[in-house]
Amino acid sequence: MKYLEEYRDPALAKALIHRILDRATKRWTLMEVCGGQTHTIVRQGIDELLAPAVEMIHGPGCPVCVTPLEQIDKALAVAARPGVIFTSFGDMLRVPGSDCDLQQIRARGGQVRVVYSPLDALEIAIRHPDREVVFFAVGFETTAPANAMAVWRARELGVGNFSVLVSHVTVPPAMTAILESPDCRVQGFLAAGHVCTVMGWTEYEPIAARYRVPIVVTGFEPLDILEGIWLAVKQLEEGRHEVENQYVRAVRRDGTVPARELVGQVFQLVDRKWRGIGEIPMSGLGLRPEFAAYDAERKFAVEGMEVSEPAECRAGAVLQGILKPHQCEAFGTRCTPEHPLGAPMVSSEGACAAYYNFGRLRHQPAGTAG
Amino acid sequence: MCLGIPGRITELRDDRGMPMGTVDFGGVRREVCLSYVADEVRAGDYVIVHVGFAISKVDEEEARKTFEALKAMSQLDELEWMAEVADKSLQGMEGEQA
Repeated sequence: MKYLEEYRDPALAKALIHRILDRATKRWTLMEVCGGQTHTIVRQGIDELLAPAVEMIHGPGCPVCVTPLEQIDKALAVAARPGVIFTSFGDMLRVPGSDCDLQQIRARGGQVRVVYSPLDALEIAIRHPDREVVFFAVGFETTAPANAMAVWRARELGVGNFSVLVSHVTVPPAMTAILESPDCRVQGFLAAGHVCTVMGWTEYEPIAARYRVPIVVTGFEPLDILEGIWLAVKQLEEGRHEVENQYVRAVRRDGTVPARELVGQVFQLVDRKWRGIGEIPMSGLGLRPEFAAYDAERKFAVEGMEVSEPAECRAGAVLQGILKPHQCEAFGTRCTPEHPLGAPMVSSEGACAAYYNFGRLRHQPAGTAG
Repeated sequence: MCLGIPGRITELRDDRGMPMGTVDFGGVRREVCLSYVADEVRAGDYVIVHVGFAISKVDEEEARKTFEALKAMSQLDELEWMAEVADKSLQGMEGEQA
């Protein structure tokens, strides 16, 4: 087994699709939280195949997309400083800030480098002791263990010229915010499998109970997603609302404990703004006071920056599942992957980019299914 | 960045006190930090790797079980479908007789 091809078997996918269509007595509305799942769903056309039984709403689980404009502007301000090497995951480079993006800072002579892992950024700092090396620490609970380790390791090895610009977010408060919204139509969730590999699923149990929604921890291959939808539909049909684990091969109830522990030692819960959504209390991670020396916001005095979001980009409505990407007036015209207005059109995990890249160009009035 | 990929550990090492290893992703090999799974993995095991870190060990037994369950489900559907077709054709015959 390679744990990839087996979960892409077309015959098994067909059987699952039939099963879901047969079982649904009405059309249910489910949200997949993670952008990686959105990508698979739209690429494979899973939402279209299941349209009579299920409407899939694409959730806010794309870290690039939810990073607020103000954090991007802070990154741009730090990256433009002489003597700084600014390091980032590749997909943050084209996210538009107020005036430009990181790629343009690089074109103007700024030292902006793409790294695969935050440990690579730390290695750059070790090799360039005369420079300040900053890593843009964004992401959900999946990247938090990697970013926590980079900071922990920097302290362990005494690397003083390394710091992180933190814009971490966590999934459960976002799900709660969506469920609390008066516009909420979500009846069940596919929880993000990889977030749960780290965190486990105990945090989701009170959400499922309080809002009476099934939450199915789901993997990323087509069969994983179909099985996740099947389990959620079955719960809804039976009137149950539990946390169930589809992604058994990778997720355990308590997650990966050493990773959770280090995240808890380096980071603490903080209020965090989400792009297009606004501030969600205790929805982010920030450095603990004992790691303040590694906080780029302090080091470069950009903490106070506040920026408001542009009006034309409707990322907030898309990220909350209120609007489908192609229902946005700017979609495919004033906003394309080449000239994005907002982050969901930039990232490969963004709902807008997925719709654009897989040809969902037709325009439908708001409120109808995509 | 948020995509985790399963890969097979081919080699384990220690880098200044940090458990590291080489992980093979269908032919492409990468250096990966194994710190979070060090207590439970050996060479040959599969792990989910995310931005250079193994964040979970893949449980082969569970992977096999999920797949077998899905396969059984699809075979079951096929049997149900055959039964349905058989029922219909029998009903048709009954209809003819009546």
